[in-house]
Amino acid sequence: MARAPDGTSARQFGTLIGLLCLGCVLWILTPHFLTVPNLLNVLEQSAINAIVAAGMTFAIISGGIDLSVGSVLAFSGVVLASALQAGAGVPLAVTLALASAAACGLLNGLVVTRGNLPPFIATLGMMSIARGLALIWAEGRPISGFDETFRLIATARPLGVPAPVLITLLVYGVAHVALAHSVFGRSIYAIGGNEEASRLSGVPVRLHKTGAYVVCSSTSGVAAVVLTARLNSAQPTAGIMYELDAIAATVIGGTSLFGGEGTLVGALIGALIMGVLRNGLNLLNVSSFVQQLVIGVVIIGAVLIDTSLKRRR
Amino acid sequence: MVWRRSARTIRKREASTRSRRFERRLTRRTFFLPVGTVLIAVALGGVHAACNRPATDAGTPGRGRIAFVMKTLNHPFFLDMKRGAEEAANRLGLDLVVQAAERELDVEKQTQIIENLIQTGVKALCVTPSGSKEVVSVLAKATRAGIPIVIADTRVDPDAAAAANVKLGTFVGSDNYEGGRLAGEFLLQSTDGRARVAILEGIPGHETGDSRLRGFRDAVARAPGVTIVASQPANWERDQGFTVFQNMLQAHPDIDALFAANDLMALGAVEAIAATNRTGKVRVIGFDALDDARAAIEAGRMAASVAQSPRDMGRLAVESADRLIRGETVPADQTVPIVLVTKTSTEGR
Repeated sequence: MARAPDGTSARQFGTLIGLLCLGCVLWILTPHFLTVPNLLNVLEQSAINAIVAAGMTFAIISGGIDLSVGSVLAFSGVVLASALQAGAGVPLAVTLALASAAACGLLNGLVVTRGNLPPFIATLGMMSIARGLALIWAEGRPISGFDETFRLIATARPLGVPAPVLITLLVYGVAHVALAHSVFGRSIYAIGGNEEASRLSGVPVRLHKTGAYVVCSSTSGVAAVVLTARLNSAQPTAGIMYELDAIAATVIGGTSLFGGEGTLVGALIGALIMGVLRNGLNLLNVSSFVQQLVIGVVIIGAVLIDTSLKRRR
Repeated sequence: MVWRRSARTIRKREASTRSRRFERRLTRRTFFLPVGTVLIAVALGGVHAACNRPATDAGTPGRGRIAFVMKTLNHPFFLDMKRGAEEAANRLGLDLVVQAAERELDVEKQTQIIENLIQTGVKALCVTPSGSKEVVSVLAKATRAGIPIVIADTRVDPDAAAAANVKLGTFVGSDNYEGGRLAGEFLLQSTDGRARVAILEGIPGHETGDSRLRGFRDAVARAPGVTIVASQPANWERDQGFTVFQNMLQAHPDIDALFAANDLMALGAVEAIAATNRTGKVRVIGFDALDDARAAIEAGRMAASVAQSPRDMGRLAVESADRLIRGETVPADQTVPIVLVTKTSTEGR
């Protein structure tokens, strides 16, 4: 497998240290940062990006990329909202949303593996298709107003922890088992490391690669459920640029865009770094323009480490 | 044999020191690069925040901090509103925090910003909602935290707000329906009630844009000679105004009037009209009376624009917030004046 265990853990440790340092700096700069309500707040705000980034990690490790996650999120959100408004129960509506997201992923995977299109192009197309479907379906308007049972997905606080945070942990738990302890997951590393070698050694490349895109889109579906419950509304314009946030989180967490290496823990820490940065800059009253600049600096910094490490390896 | 072995040992020793050195360098890099980057980034942000801190911060510590969360800060309308709000805050000795999401459409980011500002313990919250219904859940959090709320520019959906027990202090805004009606009246007057009209809509589902369009449609519905030949959203954007209107002109070359629900779309359309050499042949009516639009009216490229008073809106919002903090009662609905800017009205100044 292409993953170098010692290098990866050192890299993750570095990212974690980065997150902790960031926390310390904010703790010094503002008294509002290190409070339990604010930290729960940051976790809740990072949930959606973290969930999308979990799926993105699969696509990127397999040597691909998925630009359609934001649009798929909007589309499955619209499916969810219309199902709920048509009187479907929460379990059915959520299943439909996840299924529609997974279907987009399946299409992505098939176009990449059977149509031999570069993932960038295939998912760029899907980005537009899913957005178009969402806008057509919802007639351009947000679909809002759901009953309280559905909203519990975002508003419930079991043991004081916001439900979206627990959902994120659940997603990461399942994804971790799939990525690190299943044939599927190990094959994705192999394919990302060297596709031709994997094929020659009998790995069903097309199947697993398609699987990576299905997982990726499905997590967008989960994020759509959380977002829709949180805003009590599904907007066909939701999730614009979420693909870039997810890619950024994944990359900050040490996943290589060349494929074959990366971890879910890294993606989670990456999403937290972005969440903490945004939260901290808000608390410090830094304008969103400067926030963009800062996040850009962090992304480039993180990737610089990656490339400088790789040159030495 | 001996020589060989020693050579091998040397090589091994060399390799091991090299790898040890490499490891040391590796760990040093893995620790300090991200840490350094983050530190630099935060320092940048900190310096910026320090530079931007209003002077009132030090001067009047007791009056407290209020937050104004806007839809965006890259639109002249909201910059004017910000200016009005800052003037009022300075006068009242309030520490004002103005923030906005990166993109106007991003209700989730706006929600996050409001959540974060609630954490900083602001005394009052002014919001121009990015989504009339979506913003309700976070406003409920503010209500629970006991923070008075002032809504500016775009109304909150009243049913959703009631369902979530949101306590709205006041609404400050223009009567957008009235603005749309003014635009419609102007069209009827200046065309003697005969026109083939196109409409550029804002983002669908926005209360502001919908009211403007309703006002305009109601006004022109009285005249049988006015036909609305096309009506499409251009999402408040200048570039989309250009392309959508260009396409409309392709489909309906006989369009002789355009109502755009904001000036950015109107200005985009003006460029599309110029590109087909029809300047002056299409009467363009916009909304907001931005400086660019006023210049276009002066130059005869636009016919009129409905002027709102964003500066007054910002001022009134902050003043209302101040009164709510003091526990005074504020009217539930406050409108700022709306007027039509035309070439004759600009010549008058």
